[in-house]
Amino acid sequence: MDNVQADALPKRPQSYLTGLKEGGRAGWLLAQGLMFLGAVWGQLLSLAIVCLIFGIGSGGRFLSPDNIHAIVGLAGVPALLCLGVHQIVVMGGMDLSLEGVVAICGVVCGLLLKNNVNSMDVGFWILPIVVALGGAVGLLSGIIHTKLKMPSFIATLGVQWVFFGFAILISGGRSIPIQDARFQRLVTGSHILGIPNLALVGVFFWLVFEIFQSRTKTGIAMYAIGGDETLARQAGINVNRVKVIVFAICGVMYGIAALFLVTRLNSAAARVGNLLLFPAMTAAAVGGVSLTGGLGRARNAVLGTVIISALNNGMVMMRVNPYLQEAVNGIVLITAVALTIDRKKLGFIK
Amino acid sequence: MTANSTSVVMMRRMSKRFKNVVALDRVDFEVRPQEIVGLVGENGAGKSTLMKILIGLYQPDDGEYLLNGRPIKFRTPQEAMRQGVGMVFQEGCMVQNLSVQDNVFLGHEDGFRRWRVLDRGAMRRECKAILDRVNLRLDPDTLVRELPPAERQMVEIARLLWLLKRYGAPNPVMILDEPTTVLQEKEVATLFAALREIKKEASIVLISHRLEEVIENSNRIVIFKDGKYVDQMPAAGADIHRIEELMVGRGMRGNHYSEDKQRIPAPNERLRLENVSKKGFFEPMSFSLREGEIISLVGLIGSGKEELTKCLLGVARFDGGRVFVEGKERTIRSPSDAIRHGIGHVPIDRRQEGLALDFNVADNINMLVLRRLKAHGLISPRRERENALHWVEDGRIKTPSVKTKCGNLSGGNQQKVVISKWLSSGVNILVLDHPTRGIDVGAKEEIFKRIRALADHGMSLIIMCDTLEEDIGLGNRMIIMKDGKVTREVECPGDAKPTPQDVIEAIV
Amino acid sequence: MPDSTDSAGAGAILRRVKNLPAVLYAVAALVFFVILFSILNPAFFSLFNFNIIGLAAMILLTAGIGQCWTIVTGGIDLSVGGVISLTSVIFIQTVPRLGVWAYPLCLAIGAACGFINGNLLTRIKIPSFIATLGTGGILVSFAYLISPVATSAPFVPPSRFDPLDVVNGAWLFGIPNAFLIGGLFFAAFLTIQYFTVTGRNIFYVGSNVRMSWLSGVNIVRTKNMAFMFSGIGAATAGLILASRQFSGYPTIGATYILSSIATVVLGGSAMTGGAGGVVNTLVGALLMGVLQNGMTVVGVDVYLQQSLLGALIIVCVWISFDRSKVEIVK
Repeated sequence: MDNVQADALPKRPQSYLTGLKEGGRAGWLLAQGLMFLGAVWGQLLSLAIVCLIFGIGSGGRFLSPDNIHAIVGLAGVPALLCLGVHQIVVMGGMDLSLEGVVAICGVVCGLLLKNNVNSMDVGFWILPIVVALGGAVGLLSGIIHTKLKMPSFIATLGVQWVFFGFAILISGGRSIPIQDARFQRLVTGSHILGIPNLALVGVFFWLVFEIFQSRTKTGIAMYAIGGDETLARQAGINVNRVKVIVFAICGVMYGIAALFLVTRLNSAAARVGNLLLFPAMTAAAVGGVSLTGGLGRARNAVLGTVIISALNNGMVMMRVNPYLQEAVNGIVLITAVALTIDRKKLGFIK
Repeated sequence: MTANSTSVVMMRRMSKRFKNVVALDRVDFEVRPQEIVGLVGENGAGKSTLMKILIGLYQPDDGEYLLNGRPIKFRTPQEAMRQGVGMVFQEGCMVQNLSVQDNVFLGHEDGFRRWRVLDRGAMRRECKAILDRVNLRLDPDTLVRELPPAERQMVEIARLLWLLKRYGAPNPVMILDEPTTVLQEKEVATLFAALREIKKEASIVLISHRLEEVIENSNRIVIFKDGKYVDQMPAAGADIHRIEELMVGRGMRGNHYSEDKQRIPAPNERLRLENVSKKGFFEPMSFSLREGEIISLVGLIGSGKEELTKCLLGVARFDGGRVFVEGKERTIRSPSDAIRHGIGHVPIDRRQEGLALDFNVADNINMLVLRRLKAHGLISPRRERENALHWVEDGRIKTPSVKTKCGNLSGGNQQKVVISKWLSSGVNILVLDHPTRGIDVGAKEEIFKRIRALADHGMSLIIMCDTLEEDIGLGNRMIIMKDGKVTREVECPGDAKPTPQDVIEAIV
Repeated sequence: MPDSTDSAGAGAILRRVKNLPAVLYAVAALVFFVILFSILNPAFFSLFNFNIIGLAAMILLTAGIGQCWTIVTGGIDLSVGGVISLTSVIFIQTVPRLGVWAYPLCLAIGAACGFINGNLLTRIKIPSFIATLGTGGILVSFAYLISPVATSAPFVPPSRFDPLDVVNGAWLFGIPNAFLIGGLFFAAFLTIQYFTVTGRNIFYVGSNVRMSWLSGVNIVRTKNMAFMFSGIGAATAGLILASRQFSGYPTIGATYILSSIATVVLGGSAMTGGAGGVVNTLVGALLMGVLQNGMTVVGVDVYLQQSLLGALIIVCVWISFDRSKVEIVK
């Protein structure tokens, strides 16, 4: 090694994080924990503020174990939706088809599980079916976006309208009662240590997504595309393939969420997905997933969902006018987006 | 050029045209094993074009390309990399929001799979080893956007080296395009120390305009000019003046730029810049521009001249100094400010920045003066047509009608439309950025004549041309910038034009 | 030299066809569908039915023309539904007290909403589709707050002047006022588009925003104006709707988000910006009116109509998308 010039480069002080990482398994874990905190301190602070405001305002009821239980349960399904959507936002795109895909998956669940409209009773086979259906629709969105080269928000807007229409068509515009109660017990129950099952499912998928994002080729490629698509392509990444995969994964999450939604109410209707797009996007933005792309992990999606769920739960508890709640959600969305976008990347925006 | 059987790269009679512009004209180029070859030449000499052909980004129109003695044709840069030929671009090719580690292995993570997921531990170790090769002590998880330019550069080089060796190519070739432009002195020393180590296992092509550095650090120097190979020489004992001479050639063609019609500017000052500066780009400088005067602004990449004009035009802002237009002090914060004070701009990229290609000739010419073409409060189509016809005739724009879409005109005529657009708005000061780029020879002459005529009628012009000859030929005066400072101001009277050699050392 | 990989014949014809102005396609489609539906159900081709189509088209026209300019500048306005709903509710609530002045009031509110949308885009730099999605939701919330259930217009005895007659009456040679309003609206916006600096700037900005900026066009003001006009258009649509239905409620505008975009896109305006305009939107509105009415008359399921419309929009955007402008599609 040529040592003569070795000291020409100013030695950067070894950051304590780097030191930790080199210090064996324990050190590495501690470093990961610290990095996690460092990344989401804003969100944790917001959560703390929300808890504080509503805790005081409700005389402590907000922070009771029962209510925390309720919030966590409330956040389950939106968390799945947000986990699906946020990856598309990371790539710099947008998925407006959420409500339509949930509608078609929900209605199909209703028609295939035991019901009083037809003689189908697929039981637990519904899981692979709904995964396949959601994934297929997601795939379609991805293909329209990549092959027809249409901006994702138009492609998914179109998919949204098409499939919502289908959903109403095949359900005849009515609700289909589901008579297989096994699912409802699973979805609303808390079988392990009193933790809501939905929350466990949420945590499970959180981990799966974290692994996907940091430990797979496709996951890393996703962030590269979000950062600079041209450079990603130059590096040899098959951008179209990655995009289609991410859209398909998103569709799968929509499908699973739809299953939980209809079985929770024991009733499947096309409108089951209504008004779910907003909270999912707001959760992503609040969690720190930037609309300009390249930033944001599963932890951001989940945390954002928890914050929004807490916010909405709190507003209900304080008897805020329901329509005002929607306005609040809208304002939070706009503010969160305004704060997280990278203005340098945007130049002149549309 | 004799065929050296041990050459790594041998290119013969390489030619490449872009539409009607010749970028490379039967160029020969050779890279030998374990050498650093410096490639020098003016802007537009063909260096980057040849390198892009080398790595497979462009396809040559004609010529032979031999790699390790075998004829080769790369269709993509990925193919070239697998055979051991790669380039570090000036702008860099790392994704800013990813970590160093993720960037280094981007697209090549396959080797680290363990039980279907990536082995981060192994990636980290390998990354540290790679960074060690260029003496970089960095945490691989650092985000690229947080790295200073010098370290980013070194990571790029380390990455390229690793990629080139990964596929077992016997003699990797690494091309570095102006690597020292963003570096400080100490960092430059580190860079070349690292390159000397790398030379042991790869060949390096160094493109740079810093001739002293090139002479000091390469084995061999190759000079291009106007898309042609000029000469080569060993770096040891090379004479910098000889190199400069070869870069710009001798003498100038007679009266190509209507020098005989060059006027003496009027005494009144149109524009005065006093001690204007911009941190990181150029230091405080002053100059003034008179009525009817043409000033050529000359300098290489990194000289600061581009940023200077950007600030003048309102695209960027001066950090310090004052601007006086017609004697009154003005602040220019946006292009509309500049336009309001009479400063116009013919951009280098007329298709993207000068014209609305979907719109017709009339719409483009009238764009700045719509407010003046009104009748009864609304825009009058009749007055629009009149205005457009007037300027088409004045500018001798060849177009079937004023309703023809600008996208359908030839490059030369598009440029004339842009110029007319600004003239129509009544600017007194016009900045012309490479006005003849991408235009064929015949149309170039017309543009030169037009520039002369504009000055004759009292317009003040600041021009930045494609070649030194144009700058000298057209200008009353030349301001030369290098590394953010004005190095020389040269008078170019019509009857006593300096030669390129006279001024080249102030530029490079 | 022509591209030798293009086979003469089909390739050449396709290229020439694609270069025709988009409006001609739309007009051709209009004629085609009128003929098709008339054959499938002769009741389609009647003055009575055309009256219905025309009315629907007027609403689509006003909502669409506003939307059109936002799309031309390269953005989109998803708050159209919210503005329509809010306008209808406020109008019905204020008509008893303000009479005819309720009209200008609502137009002003529409303009204000549009102006806010514009500023969210130009000054706070939030992409228009997020900003308008958000504001649309907020506006619907306000509509709910003001009128949770449908409010009906008060009954006015025939001897007194009913402000709603501005829309419902037929003052000029028996032509329904709604058509006159639509016609005036179209004429006004046509004038703005072709004969004012702002109108021209909207197209310059949509075609090449950087060049427009370098040429001194005030981008912020131009985009703000485009969104403001969108708000006015949506408000007008809301006024017409509320007058004709004699009531206002918060969900009245919901379907118009999709419809207004469809109107613009079917008429041939490109989402890449810089091409299209009010004439395109007029044809698009007529086409949409014919399609919606025709499909119902022929018996196509209402929800299937929505699906078909969605698919049609994808196809039209795909055809009109100018790929030379956009290197990376996000």
